[in-house]
Amino acid sequence: MAWRRLLITVLLIAPVLWLLAFGFTRDARYITSPLLAKEAAPFTVTLFDGRKISLNDLRGKAVFLNFWASWCTPCRAEAKDLEAAWQQVKDKNMVFLGVALQDTEKDSRAFLQEFNVSYPNGRDETGKIAVDYGVWGIPESFFIDPQGRITYKHVGGIRVALVNAKLEEAARSIVSAKEGKEDYQPIR
Amino acid sequence: MLPRLLFIVFCLFVTNPLWAATAPDIDDQTRAIAQELRCVVCQNLSVADSPSEMAQQMRGIIRQQLSAGKNPQQIKDFFVSKYGEWVLLAPTTRGFSLLVWVLPFVVLIAGFTSSLWFIRRWSAKKREDKGAIADSELLTRVRSEAASDKTLDLDPEDSSPRAQLLQERDRLYAELKELQFDFQAGKLAASDYATLKLEIENKAAGVLQQLDSLLSRHPPASQSVGHQSSDKKSSSNEMRKTFRGWQLATGGVLLLLFGLTLGIALTNSVRPRESTQDSMTGDFLTGTAGSESAQFLQQGKSAFAKQDWPKAIEAFKQALAVDPNLPEAHAYMGFILIQAGHADEALLAFEKALVVAPNLPMALWGKGMTLYQGKQDYAGAKQAFEKLLQIIPAGAERVEVEKILAEMSQGGQKPRQQPETGTPPTSANQQIAGRISIDPKFKANVDGQATLFIIARPSDAAKGPPLAVKKIDRPVFPLSYSLGPENVMMQGVPFTGTIAITARLDKDGNPATRQPGDLTGDYKGNPAAVGSKNIDIVLDQVVQ
Repeated sequence: MAWRRLLITVLLIAPVLWLLAFGFTRDARYITSPLLAKEAAPFTVTLFDGRKISLNDLRGKAVFLNFWASWCTPCRAEAKDLEAAWQQVKDKNMVFLGVALQDTEKDSRAFLQEFNVSYPNGRDETGKIAVDYGVWGIPESFFIDPQGRITYKHVGGIRVALVNAKLEEAARSIVSAKEGKEDYQPIR
Repeated sequence: MLPRLLFIVFCLFVTNPLWAATAPDIDDQTRAIAQELRCVVCQNLSVADSPSEMAQQMRGIIRQQLSAGKNPQQIKDFFVSKYGEWVLLAPTTRGFSLLVWVLPFVVLIAGFTSSLWFIRRWSAKKREDKGAIADSELLTRVRSEAASDKTLDLDPEDSSPRAQLLQERDRLYAELKELQFDFQAGKLAASDYATLKLEIENKAAGVLQQLDSLLSRHPPASQSVGHQSSDKKSSSNEMRKTFRGWQLATGGVLLLLFGLTLGIALTNSVRPRESTQDSMTGDFLTGTAGSESAQFLQQGKSAFAKQDWPKAIEAFKQALAVDPNLPEAHAYMGFILIQAGHADEALLAFEKALVVAPNLPMALWGKGMTLYQGKQDYAGAKQAFEKLLQIIPAGAERVEVEKILAEMSQGGQKPRQQPETGTPPTSANQQIAGRISIDPKFKANVDGQATLFIIARPSDAAKGPPLAVKKIDRPVFPLSYSLGPENVMMQGVPFTGTIAITARLDKDGNPATRQPGDLTGDYKGNPAAVGSKNIDIVLDQVVQ
């Protein structure tokens, strides 16, 4: 009888404690992406040099897609790393593509010039590409395999070693189990 | 001409109302869908209500998709496919989310049912207590048993339901006898006696009924109450008592845990809003910031903004006591120190901040300004500002840094303004500067919380009050120092001539006391002339 009463008390309290622990231990701002292992949304973007590039044109190559803005501090912090990573892989069957969002053309150009960014970069003027990729905090990077499938997503600044490692995985169509996270800045 | 006119009339009166009728419809639909979607960059705001750029873009996409003929469900599905179900303000009624819809009703029904059950139980007990009129057979039994002097030898320690009922029965029988005695003694009126007697008899009949039902459910192993099985009983009583104690203790611990969890979680996760954009939920347990240190840091920032320096210093010190590696607190301390004219200490504070966060813009700015204005170290300042330029985005701050760098590169290299120190600026030839380091054999003895005093005495006065003293809390060695007129103890006394320089790493931070274990050191070429540089000191003696 008494055991039953104790069991009932524990059974009543345990879910409440579990609910509290669940709620308090997660970052309420963090949005887990459903896009991992899904097909990357096709898009066409006008590059700062005037050329147009379409994701479909890049089929057959491992693609590193990076969303950034000139006002985003973590984007500035990773800019040099990304250029260094690009220099290491540009002769391989891999492509880097940067997409600036919520930024003026002038500021974006100044950013690219300041960090001597040599890989292709364009601007998402309407925010459509960002929404297609579920972007909510920048920088956000996506790794796409030669078949056009997203293999890894990273929210926040990313380092050379991780870019190289994840690009190698993308080239071999290895999908990561979960996305990565570093310091990020919510978009506006 | 006429067909053309008709066409214009058609356009004005027919198509325009049509357009006017459809446009608000799209707006309404856009708003209705946007109200069901969560703004991805806000907290608890719908896409319809958020003023953010992202929400505007999302509204644009909704409108575009509506115009393309998609229905609301398809549009919501589109956003769910990009951001997951998180983006829906109202969770779906499938899978795990179903719990959110069902659970409140389940809890409500469970609460209602249990309330009903408890109320019924209580009212039934009350009825039993009041005592309904018992049947005559039971009443007869009560009267006969009460009249006989037959009582059982009950174990007073026995707390089983049966024993309790037997005790109650005996008590009621005794009460009946007492009542009868009072009546016979003429203390009670006949009518009162009859009423009271019937009431007690009914109660006793109720007890007998309960006893009978108990006996029918759990027939006792032995009819005799007491002696034969008293050992067994007392041990079972002991066990029951122990168990009850454990029950109470477990309940208490669970309650305490529950209270602690609630208390800690709530106090740490709620904070005053700093602005209308800010939320009242903190970052506790989300891994994005410290808790106590963040509170002190916030207090310090508020005091700093109000230029309440003592309060700001106190708050930043407390923040650093909780988390000695809080770069922002170090940087703010640096700004306060530079305000007070302590360029060296300020520089040290900025360096501490930069050790933890090499790209902290405010620390780089503070270091650059201190080197530029306070120390006239243009090369160092340039380095800091150039690093800062790599980090900060376009804006007023960036323009300011670029201006300073331009000034420095134009060869002027003079500060545009004197530091806001409150003390007159000192030129390099009025100062003594150098480095202080620790003898390697004492490095293990260094107390991280100790205070460094750099003491200057006139070369002709070995004792007595020092001419100037500089205090550096929690120094990091080796460190550069400079001593000048701003460190003079008595205002007006000139900081000139030849001066003996000593340094002491003091454990208790009291300049007046020398304690065993304090490390001291002198400049080996003492005395030094004011204006000298490279007056280096090695702390190589231990106070015994």
